[in-house]
Amino acid sequence: MRRGLPEPAGERIPNLAPMVDVIMVILVFFLLGASLELAAEGALQTELDPRSGPGEGAPVEIIPAVKIALEERGDGRVNIYVLGKRLPGDSFDDLHAFMTRRRDAGADTANPVVIAAQSGVRWRWVVRAMDVSIRAGFTNVQFAVSLAHEPGGDTPGGNHE
Amino acid sequence: MLFQPPKPVSMTLNLAPMVDVMMCLIIFFLLASKLVDAQHHPLNLPYAQTAVEVERGELGRRVVINVRPSEDDPRRAEYIVEAWDGQNITERRLPTTEIVDYLRAGADRAREAGAGLRCVIRADQEVSYEQVEIVLRGCGLAKIAKVVFSARVGEEPEGES
Repeated sequence: MRRGLPEPAGERIPNLAPMVDVIMVILVFFLLGASLELAAEGALQTELDPRSGPGEGAPVEIIPAVKIALEERGDGRVNIYVLGKRLPGDSFDDLHAFMTRRRDAGADTANPVVIAAQSGVRWRWVVRAMDVSIRAGFTNVQFAVSLAHEPGGDTPGGNHE
Repeated sequence: MLFQPPKPVSMTLNLAPMVDVMMCLIIFFLLASKLVDAQHHPLNLPYAQTAVEVERGELGRRVVINVRPSEDDPRRAEYIVEAWDGQNITERRLPTTEIVDYLRAGADRAREAGAGLRCVIRADQEVSYEQVEIVLRGCGLAKIAKVVFSARVGEEPEGES
């Protein structure tokens, strides 16, 4: 029996194709995940009045162009008050119409719009009120905060700015 | 002259450089997703038509506070902030009593660096105003005037409210 000679030492390249496939899938996953997560978020910016709020100094009352008060309702929605009066229908579309009329009547849109929400009002309605104000052209949106934190102790329009 | 056909040769594509590049990309995405995780904590953000998409870099120096309903008691809120554990950026739950100190520390660091500071409030739409108000009050006490509210861009789909 003739024994074969050993094979000559040659360059052996491992097959990287399956590894490339897997890495490609991971890469596409990260690319899609990153873009979906980052693209959907927006920002509403405001600048709080440094003279007011719970600082060390004496509280200064802001005289707002419009004061919007949101009152908690049992069904998860809110009652809307504008300048102390209940808005019929408690609709944010009506609030937008009111704000637009106010702007068209010559209200200074740089004057602050103060949103005073009852403590239990859901954040979505506060953001909606802010959104409506900005859409109507009022850019200076402020928030009423109670000076002392007393959960459940606020009333609409009863907070300090 | 005797014609000899060329010897068949096997061609192998060298995929090693491609694998190197893809590995680098994957490591980048892995690290980047870890870094942005705290600033893009999954939350049910409210919708706002006037919200604008901004690059994080445009906001400059900032502190990000996530406000979400507590898993144990939905009436309570959890405040999630970024924290550095010495090796990684992680998330930490901030007790309400520490919010003012946290914001003040950020404001002091920004003042030392000669920069302004923004407070980015990423609040879930289901939390109550009272729970966001705690952060707003903290901004007032820490003298942070510039506040950014995160929101989803667009109109709220029908039936979500």
